[in-house]
Amino acid sequence: MHKTLRFIKREYLAAVKTKGFIIMLVLMPVLMGGSGIAMYLLQGQVDTKDKRVVIVDRSGIVADMVLKAAEQRNAAAVFDKETGKKVRPAYVFETAEPDVTDPQAQRLELSERIRKGELHAFLEIGQNVLHPEGDPSTFQIKYHAKNAAIDNVRNWLNNTINPYLRKIRLSEEGIEESKADEIMTWIQVDAMGLVSVDEETGAIKEARKTGEAEAILVPVVLFFLMFMLVMMGAMPLLQSTMEEKTQRIAEVLMGSLQPHQFMAGKVLGGLLVSLTGALVYVAGGVFFLGRMGLRDLIPFHVIPWFFAFLILEIVMVGSILAAFGSACNDPKDAQNLTFPAMFPVFFPMFVFMPVLTEPTSAFATWLSMFPLFTPMLMVIRKAAPVGIPAWQPWVGLVGVLLFTAFIVWIGGRIFRVGILMQGGPPKLSNMIKWSFRG
Amino acid sequence: MNVVEIENVTKTFGSVTAVDELSLNVPKGCIYGFIGPNGSGKTTTLRMIMNIFYPDSGTIRTFGEEMKGTSTDRIGYLPEERGMYKKMKVRDLLKFYGELKSGRKVDKDVDYWLERLELSDWGHKKIETLSKGMGQKVQFISTIVAKPELIILDEPFTGLDPVNVEVIKDAVLDLRSQGSTVIFSTHDMNVADKMCDFIFMIFKGQKVLDGTLASIQEKYGSDTLRIRTEGGRSTLDNLEGVDRITDFGKLQELRIKLGFDHQEVLRQIMSRTQVYSFELATPTLYEIFLRIAGPEAKEQVDA
Repeated sequence: MHKTLRFIKREYLAAVKTKGFIIMLVLMPVLMGGSGIAMYLLQGQVDTKDKRVVIVDRSGIVADMVLKAAEQRNAAAVFDKETGKKVRPAYVFETAEPDVTDPQAQRLELSERIRKGELHAFLEIGQNVLHPEGDPSTFQIKYHAKNAAIDNVRNWLNNTINPYLRKIRLSEEGIEESKADEIMTWIQVDAMGLVSVDEETGAIKEARKTGEAEAILVPVVLFFLMFMLVMMGAMPLLQSTMEEKTQRIAEVLMGSLQPHQFMAGKVLGGLLVSLTGALVYVAGGVFFLGRMGLRDLIPFHVIPWFFAFLILEIVMVGSILAAFGSACNDPKDAQNLTFPAMFPVFFPMFVFMPVLTEPTSAFATWLSMFPLFTPMLMVIRKAAPVGIPAWQPWVGLVGVLLFTAFIVWIGGRIFRVGILMQGGPPKLSNMIKWSFRG
Repeated sequence: MNVVEIENVTKTFGSVTAVDELSLNVPKGCIYGFIGPNGSGKTTTLRMIMNIFYPDSGTIRTFGEEMKGTSTDRIGYLPEERGMYKKMKVRDLLKFYGELKSGRKVDKDVDYWLERLELSDWGHKKIETLSKGMGQKVQFISTIVAKPELIILDEPFTGLDPVNVEVIKDAVLDLRSQGSTVIFSTHDMNVADKMCDFIFMIFKGQKVLDGTLASIQEKYGSDTLRIRTEGGRSTLDNLEGVDRITDFGKLQELRIKLGFDHQEVLRQIMSRTQVYSFELATPTLYEIFLRIAGPEAKEQVDA
């Protein structure tokens, strides 16, 4: 077996034959999209303790309606119809006469009851809520609770009281209730794709409804997947090269390997690690989306581009990291060089939102043509529902191919000198010198 | 035939000249010992032979060829500081290093050497679990498992107990008898004295000794009186004709001044105390090392 292949094999197995790799393979997507998945999984975990709320209704028209609406809600939503298990809290409202002489004292007393845990909240309804005119304090609705800003009861009250008041206002104008429902109907503007001709039949195909998943989720998932795979395959090269140097492993290896074989082994080993991860995620994604009947969401036309750009990104960033690692003499040096080395990956993270929302803008186009950022930004643009001109990914690909070749060449020259140079922190001036002199 | 030929080689690091105009030939099939104090240029010389460092001037030929820019598959190298992947298992590491160098399967060689160095039970353990001495033995195996023609060992006996020093010494002698050439650096003069066919001493980057032990000792002559007396060291002060006394406890070595009669020195001692035994000897390698690099040499330079 060729020496470089032997070294690639060692690097690859050293990375993937660890529990850490398996854990990372599972944890990475969880961490990246983690909060969303966690929220989805944990959404059933709600506090089912009843929420007691006192209503101080100065208008005299809202409290009764709220009590009735709460009864209906509690009957319909609190218990699971099949299992009979309590799945949501009941909203239990009671009314209190407004204290006209000293409203502050009443507020304090109710607040104390909340503090003691007897109540969840209290609601004050201004006297002019039906016809909000004049002094704003007379038509406000105030919800007092320990954490009022994030509170489901408050949301429910909002969505219950306002339609009710609107209906009364409409009926005062002589509009009957059935008409009022029609007046208040809200129609959503649907997001649609473009109409095209079916290649087989020649008929004009219906435009597909574009969901948020397609518009945002697919490009974002591919973008973050590439980020993750760079972190998985290329990022460790900085640390491992530094360790091989400081632990004198490099000295032993250089008795058997040429410097370029050494660096190629490291970068290509890292590439294989990333490709392993990519295959697992892409194959897994295709399989599960297929099983879930969401095959339409799979961007098959982007996947070859994704792999082409991923390979170039890993080779480019991996070469930079290996070269930087060879110039380091301790973990602190490596830490200091991490950010500059990872710039081609971090920068697209800062700009991915504007690129995603306007993939054809001059900003997105030119930035994605800059070879350092091409792989990540071109993938996001290619995956966006808005079509980008067909020539752009090709030009980007050629650009990044040439640039990667250049980076590998420069990186190889730095690596050759740096890997055996002991002592002294890694200086940019030294690295430039090594890259010119070799 | 010379396996290594070094001609007028100089290597500097910044303002420090690590190796200065060095010339040296290492014949095939011998054991060549590199001695010298710390920082004298031994490791730099070994690294230049390995092509890890390139000389600033002069030439180094191994196996008759200048090997600049190429890896050196015919040479096995044990660096001074150990270079092993801590997370790898012993057997995997030895196979990896051996196969990387030789390009063939080395399973049988790995098994042979693990057994010979009493490490068979440790084959499946990770490197990081080994003691310093065991790690040293594993590193030694990794150097020789590919059967290189030239073996370079930088301080191979550091960290080993006397039993393991003997084990490695035997292995080195075996390798020599099988045709390998061995170069090793050491601070242990006893080892160098007993094992080496040739000894090379470098001091402040310059060659100060080179040749067989006998030829080196001959150069220094029989100027040493090794003596055991009843009174010991305390009775030997202020002897006429004695340059220096080295005390080994029960035994003392007296260096006789150039041209002074050693019989006269012996007579002076016998008049002071009872002499149990005496021997007129050539200086040991240890003594020669101290004469060149010890405090005495420094005093002479300062004077």
